[in-house]
Amino acid sequence: MKKFLLFTLKTLIFTIVIAVALDFIYTAIYLQSSNRGKVDHVYNSKKENFDVVILGSSRANNHFVAQMFEDKGLKTFNYGMSGGHLFEADLLLKLMLERHYKIKNVILEADLNLSNKRRDYGISSKFLPYLHQSETVKKHFSNEDDFLEMYYIPFYRYIKFDERIGFREFYNTTLKKSTNVLNHQGYYPLINRKGNMKNNIVNLKPLLHNQYYEEIKQICKDNNINFIAVMTPMCENTKGIEYFNKVQKLYPEIHNYENVVVEDKYFSSCGHLNDTGARLFTARILKDFFSK
Amino acid sequence: MFFNSLAFAIFLPIVFFLYWFVFNKTKSSQNALLIVASYYFYSCWDWRFLFLLVFSTFLDYYTGIRIEKSTNDKGRKFWFWLSIIINLGFLGIFKYYNFFSTSFAQMLTTVGFKASPILLDVVLPVGISFYTFHGLSYVIDIYFKRIKAEYNFVDYSLFVSYFPLLVAGPIERATHLLPEVKVKRTFDFNQAKEGVCQIIWGLVKKVVIADTCATYANAIFDNYSSMNSLSLILGGIYFAFQIYGDFSGYSDMALGMSKLFGLELLRNFNYPYFSRDIAEFWRRWHISLSSWFRDYLYIPLGGSKGSKAMQVRNVFIIFVVSGFWHGANWTYLAWGFLNAVYFLPLLLLNRNRSNIDEIKLNWNWDSVRTISSIVMTFCLSTIAWVFFRAKTITDACTYLKRIVVNREFTSQYLVNERYNYEILLMIGLFVLVEWNNRTRVEPISGKYNTVKLALAITAIIAFGTYSDYKEFIYFQF
Repeated sequence: MKKFLLFTLKTLIFTIVIAVALDFIYTAIYLQSSNRGKVDHVYNSKKENFDVVILGSSRANNHFVAQMFEDKGLKTFNYGMSGGHLFEADLLLKLMLERHYKIKNVILEADLNLSNKRRDYGISSKFLPYLHQSETVKKHFSNEDDFLEMYYIPFYRYIKFDERIGFREFYNTTLKKSTNVLNHQGYYPLINRKGNMKNNIVNLKPLLHNQYYEEIKQICKDNNINFIAVMTPMCENTKGIEYFNKVQKLYPEIHNYENVVVEDKYFSSCGHLNDTGARLFTARILKDFFSK
Repeated sequence: MFFNSLAFAIFLPIVFFLYWFVFNKTKSSQNALLIVASYYFYSCWDWRFLFLLVFSTFLDYYTGIRIEKSTNDKGRKFWFWLSIIINLGFLGIFKYYNFFSTSFAQMLTTVGFKASPILLDVVLPVGISFYTFHGLSYVIDIYFKRIKAEYNFVDYSLFVSYFPLLVAGPIERATHLLPEVKVKRTFDFNQAKEGVCQIIWGLVKKVVIADTCATYANAIFDNYSSMNSLSLILGGIYFAFQIYGDFSGYSDMALGMSKLFGLELLRNFNYPYFSRDIAEFWRRWHISLSSWFRDYLYIPLGGSKGSKAMQVRNVFIIFVVSGFWHGANWTYLAWGFLNAVYFLPLLLLNRNRSNIDEIKLNWNWDSVRTISSIVMTFCLSTIAWVFFRAKTITDACTYLKRIVVNREFTSQYLVNERYNYEILLMIGLFVLVEWNNRTRVEPISGKYNTVKLALAITAIIAFGTYSDYKEFIYFQF
């Protein structure tokens, strides 16, 4: 039995050593990456100056045509992330400021994402390789339920989110394969119709004080950044469209642009404008906020 | 509580510690601990079905004794049939009632009557097909006087409820497992070490091979109408490795952890994808179920004795019933039927036992023929797996038809944001490892054990699929 316990101990030690070694290798590779996505792009960037930074979910990513801002002479990047919540938008902004970005305006898409203050498991995992390197990332995740295991168990975060930061992503990062996420200054145009032109958001309720929304607002205030929060368009056939009025009541400073583009021909799916729709919408934003 | 879950990683060492350090005095205390652990393990799935398990155990225990004690044939028959009817009755109600009810209503609708099926809102108790078959084989063996009835209820309960095999087999025989649980187990280092290696290899099969293949197979099968020929072929191959890695991985873990408790279970898989014909495939795939059907259905029906027509009938019965055992769906029946069709030429040409020797390859034409036979058998079984995996027979036929008519053999980007060919290298490596170790139970033990153990652990940690978690396929049966 003693022999077996020693064998088991040896196996356990093996497992721990392998996990520590893998954790070290994966983290080292991710620390070198800057062309796979918006998170590593920001994390591994140096000081940048922007006239406009766009934050939010896919409803920011697919709706704000950064090039149209650039055409007006405004240095812009669309940091909207498909699937992202305000948790990730807030952290991304914090990382930018940690890297001494100079930002004049932040446009935040704040509408459907106000209904929760959870993190998006997929998008937020992109920050996890930096958990031990960045105090900002560590602090931001510190109140999460799974923080302790992610922080202290070697390689656990890469296992838990293997779909996003596991072997496949590690392999592509090692080969320095770039993605199309950073093309068009971060804007991702939707061309074809992909989804149904109907949506049901009856069960969504905007939270009274969304912690991450408030944090973004406060960060902008503290850093003299002009904060523009907007609601972006939904298709006409949306059940529970009064959600946007509720947002307006709770957060009067958020500009309601939900109905500035309405026709189905401008949508790729009910919650996402196609490229033509996005151009119409961006033109309106430029006119209202950047016409001077 | 899955074998590859954190909860089980805590549960198993606790049971192991108690088994060898606290309850190690007598075989009764060892068995009692394993029974409590098994009932706890089972109740983690759904405690309500624990009553069904205990009832089923008691029924077969009691009827077994009554069969043995009956002095006349009438009494023996009564208790025998009582056990068979109740066991199959439970299986029928929980597993097949809704299927028959729906199919009957559909049949009536087809012939012009309006009928809506009366369905039962029941969940299939996990492992029912496995523990029912344990009990059935026990009662049948007593009835035919192959074994004596077991009078110790704890020992018998352990035979039925032993947790490593409770929910997905292997389907043990009383002749094999009962004698093992009737003696006190002593700790054997080599056996336990082999057990750990087998558990780790089972984990490699499950989390590295099966779950990764599942991600791709699901993306292809769920969207088969937009897939090209190459993707559809690869989808079939991925599913073949998914189901093999999933089920044989589970069996390896069950066998491995049994070794930790000093018990040897029946081997359930013997590298089935290296079979040279379908008959050999079925001697290597889910061996405990195949041999169960052979001994308790095929042979009583006459087996390979009698006229060719009788033999053909028996083959079709055994394969179709085997398919139906897997689940109440026409696709499983079609899968069983197709395997019977594959088997037919071998039976008619008396070649169903021509490949029973060990596979040896040399630089000669015989080896080329052997490799071709292995590839051909794999292709045939993969075609059958399409029926097993598809939701309906129509889906399976359309899937196979599309392989032929589409004729595009290019790489394709799947809905899971991966290319269709990405895991071929991994599968190739897995096949190579299995091929080089085909004469052994698992590849980790033996020479260079430490290096192989480290590689296997690295594979589990680095290449496993965890975020897209998948249950063991055979739990649903």
